[in-house]
Amino acid sequence: MKKILIGGIGNVLLGDDGVGPYVARLLDARYEFDEGVEVIDLGTPALDLIDQLSGRDGVILIDSVNAEADPGTVILYRKADIMRQRPAVRMDPHAPALVDALLSAELFGVAPVDVLLVGIKAESFEPGCRLSEPVTAALDGAIGEVLRELDRLGVDYWPRECAGEIDVWWTNEGKVAGRVFEDESISLRR
Amino acid sequence: MANRITIDPITRIEGHLRIDVEVDNNAVSNAWASCTMWRGIEKILRGRDPRDAWLFTQRFCGVCTTVHAMASVRAVEDALQLEVPLNAQYIRNLILIAHALHDHIVHFYQLSALDWVDIMQIPKADPAATSRLAESLSPWTRNSRNEFKAAQDRVNAVAASGQLGIFMNGYWGHPAMRLSPEVNLLAFSHYVQALEYQRKALQVVGILGSKTPHIQNLTVGGVANAIDLDSQSALNMDRLEMIRVLLEDVVRFINEVYLVDVCAVAAMYPEWFKIGSGVRNYLAVPDLPLDTQGSAYDLPGGMIMNGNIAGVHPFKTASDKDFRQGVSEDVAHAYYQGGKPLHPWMGETEPEFTGWNAEQKYSWVKAPRFNGQPMQVGPLAQVLVGYAQGHPLTVKHATLAIGKIEAVGGIHVTPDMLHSTLGRHAARAIRASMLAELAQKHLQLLTDNIAKGDLSVCNSPVFPSHEVEGVGTHEAPRGTLSHWIVIEDAKIKNYQAVVPSTWNASPRDASGAHGPYEASLLHTPLARPDEPLEVLRTVHSFDPCMACACHTFDPSGRQIAKVKVL
Repeated sequence: MKKILIGGIGNVLLGDDGVGPYVARLLDARYEFDEGVEVIDLGTPALDLIDQLSGRDGVILIDSVNAEADPGTVILYRKADIMRQRPAVRMDPHAPALVDALLSAELFGVAPVDVLLVGIKAESFEPGCRLSEPVTAALDGAIGEVLRELDRLGVDYWPRECAGEIDVWWTNEGKVAGRVFEDESISLRR
Repeated sequence: MANRITIDPITRIEGHLRIDVEVDNNAVSNAWASCTMWRGIEKILRGRDPRDAWLFTQRFCGVCTTVHAMASVRAVEDALQLEVPLNAQYIRNLILIAHALHDHIVHFYQLSALDWVDIMQIPKADPAATSRLAESLSPWTRNSRNEFKAAQDRVNAVAASGQLGIFMNGYWGHPAMRLSPEVNLLAFSHYVQALEYQRKALQVVGILGSKTPHIQNLTVGGVANAIDLDSQSALNMDRLEMIRVLLEDVVRFINEVYLVDVCAVAAMYPEWFKIGSGVRNYLAVPDLPLDTQGSAYDLPGGMIMNGNIAGVHPFKTASDKDFRQGVSEDVAHAYYQGGKPLHPWMGETEPEFTGWNAEQKYSWVKAPRFNGQPMQVGPLAQVLVGYAQGHPLTVKHATLAIGKIEAVGGIHVTPDMLHSTLGRHAARAIRASMLAELAQKHLQLLTDNIAKGDLSVCNSPVFPSHEVEGVGTHEAPRGTLSHWIVIEDAKIKNYQAVVPSTWNASPRDASGAHGPYEASLLHTPLARPDEPLEVLRTVHSFDPCMACACHTFDPSGRQIAKVKVL
């Protein structure tokens, strides 16, 4: 059994920066995976990302990136790209954490062999809980890259019998607490 | 003629603090702390259901998710005068303690130790001598020659490869680095071990919060943990036992490694007890409530003005009137519209970017003030207000740590010396050892309360239609955090977060008074102005995390430190 992390990185309150968590939750709603695969909305991790990376056979991260490309372009980076490009290539708002975490994991001998960063070029990082049109249009392409990587790693996945609702609570305009705590005895006194 | 040095950004973790200092005769003669970008995340909360606010606020920052969740539910509970069941208080306290222990360990080892430890001296160390030294300082079982040899081999491999990797940005060989090769190796070996123990602390957060990052178990009025000692899917004896075992390891690491290393480093850099004091006004809020109303706490709060420890003013409760009325935010030197300082409940966040200008506006961080004065927050503030009040737990751990520093360094340490860069590190280690003791206490309190048959975890909130205001406070790893909420008709009308790094990184106010980072840098000697290691030492001693101070990231900011000498 291979231990695989599929991790969405980004701040869901800052527009297209939420694309990583969004893709992670889409994948979780649509597919089931081999035992050993974990799909996690990582938010904007700092060095605690080391813990998430360590001891995995493969890591697939999804994040917004800041490359020279049209918004919505999906760009792939391999482990060597991430570790090498540190000072030169502008790639990712959270890159200091990602690069530092990967370099630390490497130093401690716990880094995964296979790392793929599925980057989606953002249009806007303005505060707000919605993705821009070009980034929304890129969601399926990003998911395709994640699945292709799973194929390459020899990890199985299959569509859910009944696809669940996508748990992207932050995009809801109404209330979201009911999701966490089903008790509707909470009253409103007028 | 003074030289201007700009360091941008200075935090090692996400965030974009910029420091400008003027250097005259190899000492800092003036300083500016600024944050380089702004995003108005608080505005997203307006009009939303107050019960949901914590889910959003814990996304402010990827490092301190838990603390913003906690302050948020407390703000709503304060507005509604809602009591919190005992089990919920204890579970929340355990989460807060475990998160803080993780955070303090990571801060010392991963984020600031390399300001003091020269990695490139490690190949010269003798692992056997290192082991003898370490065993003379601590009963820690992982101080063997083999442990140190393995750590040294890692560094040798990195040095031989020519790819410095994670160590690419250090000021190796700097004249202000003064530890012996053996002490450098000792600290580095613990740097590696620290990762294991901070992870155990996070596992405690995960068990109680169902998930980390982003705990899921909070709710306004309590927690959503089901407690059932006979159920596999609830908080049961197995899980409490898992927490106990994890905490035992973390507590041992704190007492036998972290505290010892901080004391050893302090003993070897005693001049840093005289550098970096700055603002000697301190602010801390009481935390770790012991009853349902929040009238008794395990961590004391209060304030100290002008370093007058004897004149400490205690805050008895988290909703202390003096605290609620004392806070305001000044925007004279921050990129916002507005004139006079505003209380957070009236707070406005209308940006007005005018470019960095040393005489006018130069930061996206507002300047919080307490009764008009800048305040330093953080573990040092907490330890000093506790020590000043004779709080037994604080006095016990502070005395122990001071004794260790004196024994290793052969120096006399007075409480006054804690107003310093090393004082902030020492206080964080003291606070960690206090929290380590409290972790075990609160686990016992929770277990005993459940054993009595109390399984309640939540009181339901009831919202009035008229306007209500609340403040939720938490003494977070970086200091006093407060979330200020105005609710009308069960909807959020205004929301302001005054975060620890806003207090410490604040720019000047209308009167020209420096914020704590700025003031702490004045008169700092610099051995090599183009390698301002000493500036980093002091700024890092505050544990800066700017992500939530200015709610920011910089999509292009990828350099760890850009040093520009003008």
